[in-house]
Amino acid sequence: MTINKRISRIIKENLLRYIGVLLLIVLGSFTFIIASGISQNLDALVTTFTEGHKQEDLSFRTDKAIWEIEELEKAANGIIEESYSYDAAITDSLTLRLLSKTEKVNIPAVVDGRMLSGMGEIMLDPAFAKANGYTIGSQIKTFEKTYTVVGFVSLPHYIYPLKNVYDTVVSPNNFGVGLISQEEFASIQNAATIYAIRFDDRTTSLNKQAAKFRALLHEKGIVDSEWIDIMNNKRARTVWASITGMKTMSIPIPVAMFLLCCLIIGIMIWRMIRHESVIIGTLYAQGYRRKELIRHYITIPLLLSIIGGVIGSLLALPSIAPAVLSMISYYNVPVINIETNIVNILIGILTPLLFLGLSSYLVIRSELKRNPADLMKGDRQKTKVNTLERSLKLERFRFSTKFKLREQLRSVSRLTFLFLGVTSASVLMLLGFTIMNSMNYVFSNSTNDTYRFEYEYAYKELQYGKAPDGAEIFSAGRFYSENNEGIEFYISGVESNSTILTLKRSVGNPLPNNQTNITKPLADRLGIRAGDTVSLINKQDGKAYTFHIDAVADSYAGQFIFMPIAEFNQQLKLPQNSYMGLWSTKKLDIPEEQLLGMKSLSETASAMDEFMGPMVSMVVAMTLIACVVGLIIIYLVTSLIIEENKSTISLFKIFGYRRREIKSLVLNSSTFVIIAAFIVSIPIMTASMDAMYGYLGNMINLVLPTIISPLYVAICFAAIMLTYQLSKLLCTRKVNAVSMTEALKLGAE
Amino acid sequence: MFIEVSNLKKSYTTGEIRTEVLKGVSMRLNKGEIGVILGPSGSGKSTLMNIIGGIDHGDSGKVIVEGVEITNLNADKLTDYRRGDIGFVFQFYNLVPNLTVGENIEVVSNISKSPLNIDEVLVAVGISDKKHRFPRELSGGEQQRVAIARAIVKNPKLLLCDEPTGALDYQTSRSILQLLEQVNKKYGTSILMITHNTAIAAMANRVFRLRSGEIVEDSINQMIIPAERIEW
Ligand SMILES: Nc1ncnc2c1ncn2[C@@H]1O[C@H](COP(=O)(O)OP(=O)(O)OP(=O)(O)O)[C@@H](O)[C@H]1O
Ligand SMILES: [Mg+2]
Repeated sequence: MTINKRISRIIKENLLRYIGVLLLIVLGSFTFIIASGISQNLDALVTTFTEGHKQEDLSFRTDKAIWEIEELEKAANGIIEESYSYDAAITDSLTLRLLSKTEKVNIPAVVDGRMLSGMGEIMLDPAFAKANGYTIGSQIKTFEKTYTVVGFVSLPHYIYPLKNVYDTVVSPNNFGVGLISQEEFASIQNAATIYAIRFDDRTTSLNKQAAKFRALLHEKGIVDSEWIDIMNNKRARTVWASITGMKTMSIPIPVAMFLLCCLIIGIMIWRMIRHESVIIGTLYAQGYRRKELIRHYITIPLLLSIIGGVIGSLLALPSIAPAVLSMISYYNVPVINIETNIVNILIGILTPLLFLGLSSYLVIRSELKRNPADLMKGDRQKTKVNTLERSLKLERFRFSTKFKLREQLRSVSRLTFLFLGVTSASVLMLLGFTIMNSMNYVFSNSTNDTYRFEYEYAYKELQYGKAPDGAEIFSAGRFYSENNEGIEFYISGVESNSTILTLKRSVGNPLPNNQTNITKPLADRLGIRAGDTVSLINKQDGKAYTFHIDAVADSYAGQFIFMPIAEFNQQLKLPQNSYMGLWSTKKLDIPEEQLLGMKSLSETASAMDEFMGPMVSMVVAMTLIACVVGLIIIYLVTSLIIEENKSTISLFKIFGYRRREIKSLVLNSSTFVIIAAFIVSIPIMTASMDAMYGYLGNMINLVLPTIISPLYVAICFAAIMLTYQLSKLLCTRKVNAVSMTEALKLGAE
Repeated sequence: MFIEVSNLKKSYTTGEIRTEVLKGVSMRLNKGEIGVILGPSGSGKSTLMNIIGGIDHGDSGKVIVEGVEITNLNADKLTDYRRGDIGFVFQFYNLVPNLTVGENIEVVSNISKSPLNIDEVLVAVGISDKKHRFPRELSGGEQQRVAIARAIVKNPKLLLCDEPTGALDYQTSRSILQLLEQVNKKYGTSILMITHNTAIAAMANRVFRLRSGEIVEDSINQMIIPAERIEW
């Protein structure tokens, strides 16, 4: 059809505008394919690994060796394997956890090099090896012995190699794991014996099977400790935060992009048809069918969405593998293969097609429904004043305010587009900053504000007596809520006049430590308020205990209930004056073999800093993307405003308006919409953040608060306003190009 | 002399073809007078008026308005000139569709140094009850009254009207012409008006007839007939 020749001309005339729409589509498809590609691949890699290599369901230590493993296996319907663990100091700040090679549970996977074949050999966790410069063939020297590195290894229970299970971030510069043969442990004193079990029944609740198994152990007179089930094991679960995070990203961003495209394309086509209604009427009159015209007008959106979808996919496809690899580099999972899912690509291409095709079809059809005579009357109708404009009472405003208000309200769809567009760009931007801020808050500020100790020592056995100078005693037990087994936390008994633990009320004054206080994130998750009495189940014995909560502390440093240690001991029927660990402001000289573990706060902090590095670059990337989206949207709207106002601009020029004045009237008319959209984006961001964190809480038992930092809000606002200025700059040329005779000609047409 | 045009030339080149639109036009109009430019379509009337109004440039020749040679002014100075001294009225009114009547007038009063009171101007053009209407809701004649109100609110020295009655019927045309006459009397505004209608020339002090870019007749009207008595 000859009228289709127009299409390339139409596109050329408004090239920048169509490129803008195209970019939004590309971004939508790209985000979808890459985010879903990453999450599916990670999911597949992790699941293949944990299933294939028999990840443990729980691990524990015992007071004495278990001899009747086979009998227990039968009774519990699972596989049990004994292994050894020993923390070897390489240097003062570098610890290598030596683990014995297992055969049945937590089967090691060779990532590089070869499997152990004898004594004196070691396989290292690759991140640790890389961070500390160990290559295959090199030697690693512990205090006791020298090993030759023969390969790199992935372990199903050390996917995220945390030193302590309740740590949050890994730090390969301080800690790593190495696999050695079981025989090596014959010469290592003080190695810990750890039992891991994997149940054969993969459907029944893990907690139920675990409880049964535990009862079984107790029957045999075995006392367990460090009982950790896989769902609460951050070494295994943290990776799911990334997978779910990507999964949740893969939908809303593309949908927002595609919806924005629908709106803007709808507006552009509607205007085009209105503008050309005379021609359309004439074509109708000459016997063109509606179908033919619909086909003509729908070509542009279809072309845009196909090209956008294809470009988005083409860009995303080669990026999936590197992205998966860079995500997986935080974790230790063997990468077998990375697949590209054809269905995802189809969705990435077809969704914009569907979105844009359908919306523009509806717009075109409703416009072309009008009869030819009506159409031929021309677009004088576009000057129709809508009810909103009519109902405005603007008397008391200055002229420029009136003009700007009217300009924005002239087209509700354009206004919606601008508003939603700027809101989504701002939400995206704020999201990145706020995630960073919350992390930072929880892991540095809040932790430092709450705890005044430098080292935490946990004893293997109950201790009695007084704490050394500069230290305080504590005890702790792991509990869960009766109606929500997923929420696990510590209840800690602390000295009732503790100066090391500082909990605060929301208003800021400290809470006394001689009462039972609950931290805010835990209170929120359990729905507990000050004054409540709650029944909680102890993981050790499975029995319920009742606690009266006195206050909720405004501390995000973890999920805890703190109570006076005397009361704690009484409740749990522990001996009076007993305690399990020490909080100390300085390093204590406690024999290694008495300790379950030692945690240093500054080590945690430095690990956190390492973790924040990539976080910052992610935020910068998100901010840049948000700016580009914002720029496109504001540019599109501004250029539409200019086009709709060509004759008005021309008139203004005739009447002697100066360039600056015209620019201020026409280009600045969006300012208040943009500001309003930004303000609205803050609560939207907070809500989506809370939802996301809620999800995260359920997935990996990590609770983050949404903390909005005024500084970051200001930065985001500045970025949005800068984007706005830039798009105005792009449009200035267009305003200047409007000639004075434009108004005269338009009138005469 | 208020307006003095001498030997004004203007040509357009489209592709190979050069069209001389104004071939050395000279004309003059005194302060407070009404001048009418007559001539067939394409003779260069609008081009001449646009140059006088400072929205177009001549190729050569001089245009002096109240002692200022506007042909020498740069773009900024021309803007000031239009802003301060000139009022425009067009055949198709050219009102801003999404602004009310009052706001359309404000478009101009907003940037002038000592504008007349808007309500007063609305009374003067006879549409004081339509201030809050939108242009679409007015008849052609009423819209042209708004356009005139908009043009005179800044109390210009010169009112340029390009076929102000071109789109209106007989009765309405006459009332618009009467209105222009009143403006001329009341505010002492000089008016230059383009028309196809020879009869209208009767109300002018001075009549210019343009043909193919040349003034072929320049006469002073000895027997001015008030607009209300003009018939055609
Ligand atoms: N931008 C332009 N480019 C080329 N030629 C032009 C341009 N503007 C006007 N012309 C030509 O200049 C001539 C004079 O035009 P002008 O608009 O001054 O005529 P007019 O006397 O006002 O006619 P009308 O009574 O129809 O309004 C016409 O022949 C027109 O084709
Ligand atoms: Mg003309």
